[in-house]
Amino acid sequence: MTPAIETTNLTRRYGGTVALSNLNLTVEQGSIFGFIGPNGAGKTTTLRLLAGLLEPTGGTIRLMGQLLRPGGAQRLVGYMPDFFGVYDDLRVWEYLDFFARCYGLDGATRKRTVDELLALVDLSPKRNAFVQSLSRGMQQRLCLAHALVHNPPVLLLDEPASGLDPRARVELRELLRALREMGKTVLLSSHILSELAEVCTEIGIIESGQIVVSGSVDDVRRQLQQGSKLRIRVLRDLDTAETVLRKLANAPASSGLPYVRSVQLDLVDPRALVIELEQTDDAEQAALLTYLIGQGIAISEFRVQAENLEELFLRLTTTSA
Amino acid sequence: MHRFHPQPNPIIVRELRTRMRGGRPYLILSLFLVLLALTGVGVYQLMLQQTRIGVAVLSPQVGQALFKGLAFVELLLIVVLAPALTSGAVSGEREQLTYDMLLATPLQPGQLLWGKLIAALSYLLLLIFAAVPVFSVMLIFGGVDPRSLVKAVILLFATTITFGAIGLCASTLFRRTVWATAVTYGVVLLVVGGSLTLASVWGQFSSPPGQQPPPYLLYLNPFSALFAITGLAPPIDPAMSFMGYADPLGALPFIGMLAQGVIAYGPNGAVVVPIYRATFLAYPLLTVLFGWLSAHLILPYKRWHPRWSDLVFLLLVLSLLAVGYITQEWWLIAAPVQPGGWAG
Repeated sequence: MTPAIETTNLTRRYGGTVALSNLNLTVEQGSIFGFIGPNGAGKTTTLRLLAGLLEPTGGTIRLMGQLLRPGGAQRLVGYMPDFFGVYDDLRVWEYLDFFARCYGLDGATRKRTVDELLALVDLSPKRNAFVQSLSRGMQQRLCLAHALVHNPPVLLLDEPASGLDPRARVELRELLRALREMGKTVLLSSHILSELAEVCTEIGIIESGQIVVSGSVDDVRRQLQQGSKLRIRVLRDLDTAETVLRKLANAPASSGLPYVRSVQLDLVDPRALVIELEQTDDAEQAALLTYLIGQGIAISEFRVQAENLEELFLRLTTTSA
Repeated sequence: MHRFHPQPNPIIVRELRTRMRGGRPYLILSLFLVLLALTGVGVYQLMLQQTRIGVAVLSPQVGQALFKGLAFVELLLIVVLAPALTSGAVSGEREQLTYDMLLATPLQPGQLLWGKLIAALSYLLLLIFAAVPVFSVMLIFGGVDPRSLVKAVILLFATTITFGAIGLCASTLFRRTVWATAVTYGVVLLVVGGSLTLASVWGQFSSPPGQQPPPYLLYLNPFSALFAITGLAPPIDPAMSFMGYADPLGALPFIGMLAQGVIAYGPNGAVVVPIYRATFLAYPLLTVLFGWLSAHLILPYKRWHPRWSDLVFLLLVLSLLAVGYITQEWWLIAAPVQPGGWAG
């Protein structure tokens, strides 16, 4: 299938400052792609380039297979900026009606579209309210609805969850899932990874104008994870278990057993240990479990403790910086 | 995907929907009409005062004085309001962070500009139309040449559009409305106050001293143009004092100050130089030029790349220049030598 978004060596400079450098990005149709990076990493520049609001200094953009030319993105993408404004003196339905008119929708289609979108973003009860009277979350949903009036295949949402309370964030996530079910491709940016991890099918981490890593959430986690951690909970004799594991850490790797870097007490659970290993696989983990049981340690829990994505992101962006 | 259907400019639809919301538009309209009505009453009282000191005031003279007073006040309000209404049109969108959202739609920059200008000026045009009943009072007294009335209305409309276009251009140039407004009023002050100041001191710096200012100095000044439209030829015979220039009987304050460069004194007496003819040609030309500038400045990128719309602007400019060239006998006033031939 043709990718919904494909950039090749996309570059954008502001004077002498390189905001984006040779970005090669592919977003498949129907996916929700999370674009993550610290402030000033180049997320907004990328989204503005994709929306046709900026001219690339170099490289190309293809949207749904079509090479992007000035003014060519308008019917293919729906764009929601990071800091969006609303016309306070308009009523909710008038706001959507205005943008529907901008896209040249005829009267009947316009009316139907406005009704459908209000229902989609759950603002039908606020139809005749003035936009200024809406809460931040409602305005965010209204702005998202405006980006959908022309039924674009691609949605570009810049920091859609910023400034929202937890409930509004949950509602936004539900809305994004609904959009995905409608077949939309969504590219959304955030500087907070946890906002996106749950809802995105793919993520890309950008730092200083360059993509550091991209792929599915699990792929990215795997790519970023240096070594792995195991969490072991014992029924009794925690000291014995710790001693056995520390011997492994000090000894050269036995055949079949993983190399243990360190052993630490779990700060939360007094009967658990966290073991940091070199790169390991399922066979080595099974061998370790067998070895510990053979040493007479009663293990009630044995599992891989994945590093929090947030920690990975912080580590990655801090290292890059 | 939806098909595109031609329909009214969305910007105009939106602005018209919201322009009259709330009490402020009605308050401004009411104040505007009250001010005009008070001007009318004031002018009438001034004329009555003349009769009290024994001057014979004819009914047509009251009508003429009312016409001048009301037209000048209305022009003053337009000159003040038109830039205010347009100087925030585009910069306001930037400030309220809706500009990107508009640019992301297929709305053409020309549509955006046209819509903003029409929407902003529609309110001013409403003010002009709303003032018609006040103006109609002068018809009771008579004395106003219908041609002068038509010329005055044309000047009001032309000033509205041109000064609005100046504000719009500044609005596309600056990101902040406060700057756009300041620069617009700076230009307006230069056009109105600068030209009058220059005209008033011209004689002191001319060689030989005492020369009359050249008419072209005031071509862009709407007040001078209105003075030329509403002014009557000054009296050749001092006995016929009621035919006094512009302000019969000298009843209207400040009006006489606008005579600089419009009333010219030749060997056969004083005449009113019809500089408004040049104004009628210069204003459309200015509007087109400011429109062209705005159409480029509003673009998000590749601002100065040639576009097809440039050809339309070029054709308009060339057409106006051609009209100016063909009609130069009519509007180009050389020097106030022969009175009588210019007044119109």
